[in-house]
Amino acid sequence: MTTVTWTIVVGVKQVPDADEVGIDPDTGRLDRASAPAVMNPPDRGALEAALSIKDVVDARVVAMTMGPPMATPVLEEAIAMGCDDAVLITDRAFAGSDTWPTSLTLARAAEQLGADIVLAGEETTDSSTGQVPPGIAAHNGWAQLTYVEAVEPRPEENRLVATRDVEGGHERVAADLPVVVAVAYGEFDPRPAPLHRKLYAENDFEPIEWTAEDLDIKDEVGLDVSPTSVGGMETVQPVERKGEVVETADDLAEQITEVYS
Amino acid sequence: MTDQTTGMGQTLLEERAGDAALESPNYDNEFDAIVVGAGLAGSAAALTLAKRGLEPLLVERGTYPGAKNVFGGVLYTPTIRELTDLDSAPLERYIAEKRFSMLSHDDETAISIKPGEWNREPHNDSFTVLRGDFDEWFAEQAVEAGATLVTETTVTGLIRENGGIVGIETDRPDGEIRAPYVVLAEGGNSLVSEGANLKATESRENIAVGVKEVLEFPENDEAIQDRFRLVGDAGVSYHYFGEGAVGEAYGGGFIYTNSDTVSVGVAYSLEDAATKHQTPEETLNLFKSHPAVAPLLRGARTVEYTAKTIPEGGAETMPDLVHDGAVLVGDTAGLVLNNGVHLEGTNMAVESGYHAADAIATAAERGLTSADALSSYADALENSFVVQNLERYGWLTDRVEEDRDLLFEQLPSAVADAGTEYFRMDRAPKEAHARAAKQRIFETLGGWTGAMKLAMRYRKLVR
Repeated sequence: MTTVTWTIVVGVKQVPDADEVGIDPDTGRLDRASAPAVMNPPDRGALEAALSIKDVVDARVVAMTMGPPMATPVLEEAIAMGCDDAVLITDRAFAGSDTWPTSLTLARAAEQLGADIVLAGEETTDSSTGQVPPGIAAHNGWAQLTYVEAVEPRPEENRLVATRDVEGGHERVAADLPVVVAVAYGEFDPRPAPLHRKLYAENDFEPIEWTAEDLDIKDEVGLDVSPTSVGGMETVQPVERKGEVVETADDLAEQITEVYS
Repeated sequence: MTDQTTGMGQTLLEERAGDAALESPNYDNEFDAIVVGAGLAGSAAALTLAKRGLEPLLVERGTYPGAKNVFGGVLYTPTIRELTDLDSAPLERYIAEKRFSMLSHDDETAISIKPGEWNREPHNDSFTVLRGDFDEWFAEQAVEAGATLVTETTVTGLIRENGGIVGIETDRPDGEIRAPYVVLAEGGNSLVSEGANLKATESRENIAVGVKEVLEFPENDEAIQDRFRLVGDAGVSYHYFGEGAVGEAYGGGFIYTNSDTVSVGVAYSLEDAATKHQTPEETLNLFKSHPAVAPLLRGARTVEYTAKTIPEGGAETMPDLVHDGAVLVGDTAGLVLNNGVHLEGTNMAVESGYHAADAIATAAERGLTSADALSSYADALENSFVVQNLERYGWLTDRVEEDRDLLFEQLPSAVADAGTEYFRMDRAPKEAHARAAKQRIFETLGGWTGAMKLAMRYRKLVR
């Protein structure tokens, strides 16, 4: 048993429910307004990964999100699942931030929380860049582990061992702390929230609130310092796929054999 | 970033970590009552409790109230109107016409009622609603009044202590929670109440199965107002009986108009579904393809398919409504009236939720939780329209069941044939047509004597 308490910070984001979101055929933009806001599904996996580390290591798990105050429900969900505390990073100055200032903001917050491990989903369902977790690592000069399928904490070595999904297989990598971990989607099955925690989170919990000034990055965030520029949008029509119904399992086997041979 | 600021964040976490509520929250007996199920009865109970100054916890298994709730389509609002302001409620259309049709396999004979009064406020307190919208709104009224709602949580059992109910078990970890009172508003399929021996498992003779589709008309914005002859927010409630509606089963079919969709469904005895090999899906499809029904639905697309069980045992099979620390309301208490002419459950659910909450609030003032202390709920319901209506029509179900062949198969055909005869265009005199029509009806009823007997058997309907 180690005496060191790890601080694990989990980045979560509120996104429009991908099951409900549509694309405006005229503008090619996501129609976010009509879809209910939910937690980015890959982030639930990151929370589970964090809590699974806490199951075996003395640790404190803190959720953080960057967004308007109406994003608070994702922090409540994190608290309900078992996080020890949560931080809402909110400021009008953040408006229009792309992945560069966003990862800078989260990097500074993680640093201020004294993070040993930062976890996040591999990407968000509303922008799908996958740039933020590596961005946090880059801004802070920390190690990074991406597309992580399994974690194995080694507190005695002050290291985290992870299994990474790589093309054609997987690899096991040990990283010195602090480390930023992007969790592969679908590899960690999020635990259900205990009843009393859920009641507490939704009705009585108040997150810590930080502004850009609190993080000392007032002039380093927002649209003006975001290097991303969108060149254009194009709606791609789905390609008709060939389909065939076979009557028996034998027919199916025959077809499969044909394709494979 | 300096080490000093790093320390600030950590210090803040340290300070907050001292909070016992954050470490291991415990809400046992923090709420005055637990309401199981955020349907109409449950939300009515929670709203009433909150208005009486109590803090109820409303537990719902769906992702939002209404997500799992199913009914035919018409909500009766006299009690809801008393409890809250209906102006902001998501109502679809008011009922401006009720139509009752007898269907043989290819005939329809119908009567329609369209009182002018129904077109004026309060529209006879009858509205079509979509439960996904309405129940969410109704639960919101309870929350605004002071209730706490928790969703995606399924109640799996009750906690008993010294014989009384003192809380609930849920499917969540750390899932037990205690409160002085539990209101069981879990719907017709009352697994929790049955599991805790608060009511007997219903026999299938007393249960109907209902299936319903919500249909839209994708390429025809005018379909509903044109086909059902509607102006503005007016809507219809069409009821169908006979072989053409539900085949050989005991039950009926219905069409209700929503704002941009129609609800089409059938409800019939579960006994028949089991013994007559008549699946709900087949039965609904037959009804939808009846020549009198199909044109109303032409070009429609299914957007929702739902099914539910409906308790139809009436006053006789009503379970004990009050127990030590617990009350049963709505469908759980078997409070549904379906006698063919009246199809009501929502108004009775709301009324029962209101009376149950009222009794709990009164008992809470005296700090009592016993069944005795809650018995004013049973008394109030007994004296309300809810039980009085159930008792008034208790005899009808049995009688109709005895006469089912005559009422649902022979009579619809006979009436249709008689109409055909009476209005026949040929070169015979009208007198001959009238005689043939009368003959057709009398054959079926068994002459004057048979007709008189039948009238006597059902005279209480117009008493």
